[in-house]
Amino acid sequence: MTDQGIKSRPIYATLRRDSSGRRHLYVSAGSGPPPDALAQDGLESWTVAPTTCEGTLPRPEGVGERRFRSTRYLMETLGRRLAGERMGLRLYVEGPEDFLWDVYGVAQAHGLGRQEIFLKQSGTLARRVQCVHCKTFNEGVTTTIVRCAGCGANLFVRDHFSRRLSAFQGVKIDAEQPGDVPQAERAYP
Amino acid sequence: MILDGTLPARVAGIDSLSPTLKRFRFEPERGCFPTAAPGAHVLVTLRGPERVWKNAYSLVTPPEARDAYAIIVRRVEESRGGSHFLHDHLRPGDRVEIGTPASLFPIASLARRHVLIGGGIGLTPFLSFLPVLRERGAAFELHQYCTDAETETFGRLLAEAGGAVTIHGSTSRRSVAEILADQPLGTHVYTCGPERLMAAVEAAALDLGWPSHSIHKESFGGAEGGKPFSVRLARSGRSIAVSDTQSLLEALEAAGIEAPCLCRGGACGVCLTGVIDGEVEHRDHVLTEAERADGKLIATCVSRARSDALVLDL
Ligand code: FES
Repeated sequence: MTDQGIKSRPIYATLRRDSSGRRHLYVSAGSGPPPDALAQDGLESWTVAPTTCEGTLPRPEGVGERRFRSTRYLMETLGRRLAGERMGLRLYVEGPEDFLWDVYGVAQAHGLGRQEIFLKQSGTLARRVQCVHCKTFNEGVTTTIVRCAGCGANLFVRDHFSRRLSAFQGVKIDAEQPGDVPQAERAYP
Repeated sequence: MILDGTLPARVAGIDSLSPTLKRFRFEPERGCFPTAAPGAHVLVTLRGPERVWKNAYSLVTPPEARDAYAIIVRRVEESRGGSHFLHDHLRPGDRVEIGTPASLFPIASLARRHVLIGGGIGLTPFLSFLPVLRERGAAFELHQYCTDAETETFGRLLAEAGGAVTIHGSTSRRSVAEILADQPLGTHVYTCGPERLMAAVEAAALDLGWPSHSIHKESFGGAEGGKPFSVRLARSGRSIAVSDTQSLLEALEAAGIEAPCLCRGGACGVCLTGVIDGEVEHRDHVLTEAERADGKLIATCVSRARSDALVLDL
């Protein structure tokens, strides 16, 4: 059920430094260090300090390193940063799929094109699911079927992914036979 | 991509812009011309007393202009290309055949800013960009490189474009790298002019980390002569001589062969023809290194023979 053979599912390669760029920015939804293939001189690395670290002392930021207390704060800062950026930047993004495409959206809105952005999925496979009926976004969905937080419909999580919304599509599974809802499986841990 | 059908037209007006530059206005014999895309060019067929030329010229009229097309032509000294004929013999009222406009040099729709860099007569495709960019409210700047003697002429042509235009004469000019160094994300650069200028623009942009998709070059009617050679056409068995001032494509056309072409500057690949025997001197921008080494194809509009003869699959 996980591979529904739908073509809008993006495929991600591993991140490698694009040496044609002049400045390199790595943005991650996690807190780990950038992959070795990127981490050379002059890489800037922006990460999100995980909430589980709250209260513990974070390790100090190194040169070119920045840690953000939330994804949202990182995203806002990125928008401001890109607004003042010049040609020659390469952006590398790592994290769950919704994060990747949120960042992609911000980058695109500031003029970065396909040759300048590189995406790599990692971390949770949990999905952001938009209910096609009431348009509510359901965050962090790990199961094949989910109850919509907006309208209460039992949604089947389709593999149809919208890069614009950074979300998968959820459609009512019991539209034909109300109440006929199969067992949900944990498919996107 | 191959466009057939020519549009019968007449010369409606000729303005002298400078001692070597003239603008020719053409009006259709009947009806309207088709709408052209910004950056479009047309093939103009000129029938001189001894020979026929088919040359590519950028339209300098706004894209929506359908009642007339205009081109600007420089009269060059060693006129192998027919500019003498246009300058010295063409008169208002004369008939010309114009091909359907084609664009190999479009404005990038996703660009957020446009930097246009012209050199000399290579300014012409940008003259049809400007009204479109202005109408769209697009962010752009235009840099025109030329000799000091021509700054005024080009200045007049660009008068309407206003503050976004800088003309660089030969004595005081900013380098291409300086122009490109401080551009925001989403900028595209377009260049048209002498090969050296275009190569400098491309090299500077790549060096500053611009992705290749954001660099656009218009190769402009660039056939240069060379050593004469002969071609044998394998299918018809005919032999044709290519003189030192003729391109292979022109020699084929002069022999009455309907050879396909579109840009006549080695940029589109429409004229690629199979080579059965002989060694090619490649001068085009379309073949890959591997294809060149393979030697099985020739861009007839610009490339020539390195050997004394070629056998073509025609
Ligand atoms: S006609 Fe375009 S490459 Fe020859």
